[in-house]
Amino acid sequence: MTQTTEHTELREDVSLDRPWVTLVWDDPVNLMSYVSYVFRSYFGVSPKQAERLMLQVHNNGRAVVATGNRESMERHVEAMHGYGLMATLAKADE
Amino acid sequence: MSGLRRFTTQPSGSLLARFEPIEADLLRLATTQLLEMLDSGANDPQIAASDGIFGRLLPAAYRDDDEAASEFRRFTATELLDRKAQNAQVVLNSLDLREADAATPETDTAPGDDSEDRQPVTISLDPDAVQAWLRSLTDLRLTLADRLQISPDGVVHLSGDDTPFLRELYEWLGMLQEELVYAIDV
Repeated sequence: MTQTTEHTELREDVSLDRPWVTLVWDDPVNLMSYVSYVFRSYFGVSPKQAERLMLQVHNNGRAVVATGNRESMERHVEAMHGYGLMATLAKADE
Repeated sequence: MSGLRRFTTQPSGSLLARFEPIEADLLRLATTQLLEMLDSGANDPQIAASDGIFGRLLPAAYRDDDEAASEFRRFTATELLDRKAQNAQVVLNSLDLREADAATPETDTAPGDDSEDRQPVTISLDPDAVQAWLRSLTDLRLTLADRLQISPDGVVHLSGDDTPFLRELYEWLGMLQEELVYAIDV
């Protein structure tokens, strides 16, 4: 790893490039089978991966289901709301 | 539980869904109420700021940024509610379609006269209809969970004469949705 700058103003520019994430949160209503199905059919992940993400939501209260720029995360969140899932977006590592 | 499977896959890729008449009636009633509720929300200019059931159907997209959350809601609420209403309408259309079919052989049956020998009804759902059903069953369950005051730990807090019925309906819809997920999940 290399150090590019020591100016603090530029560190703010770097933070603009920090990716965004889509989070799905646990809720008492949605069925585990349905949540897993949504991850498979919408994000196209394997059954195994969908199951892993679903269990992460169930056990940890939330899971990161996608990473990317803000616009595409907003699209994912809107789609998840269409499915009735609790979803938010945030900057990565928040 | 009846011995017959509720959903069976057709060679065409469509699903056949089988309901007892009372089940079809209940689903129609619940979905009609959902549609009315969604329509009232769509006509409400304050929807962006509303909470309660609309707060769950249109959850905040940002947890720590109220301004971004309300902007997101302003841009997405109309279309999301519109699609939810369309999905509910697809469910109602599916249920009404079988009525038209079933009415043909017994045209002279008076309303209320058929309560004793009503036959199970069969509905055909193409893949688009299945997607609408999956989402609408979720919206129905979210709405019922709100009425039942189900807390994050899953406990029902509503206590009233309606509670046992609403609870049974909520659980039945969950079973129905699970059966539907398993039917398409091959």
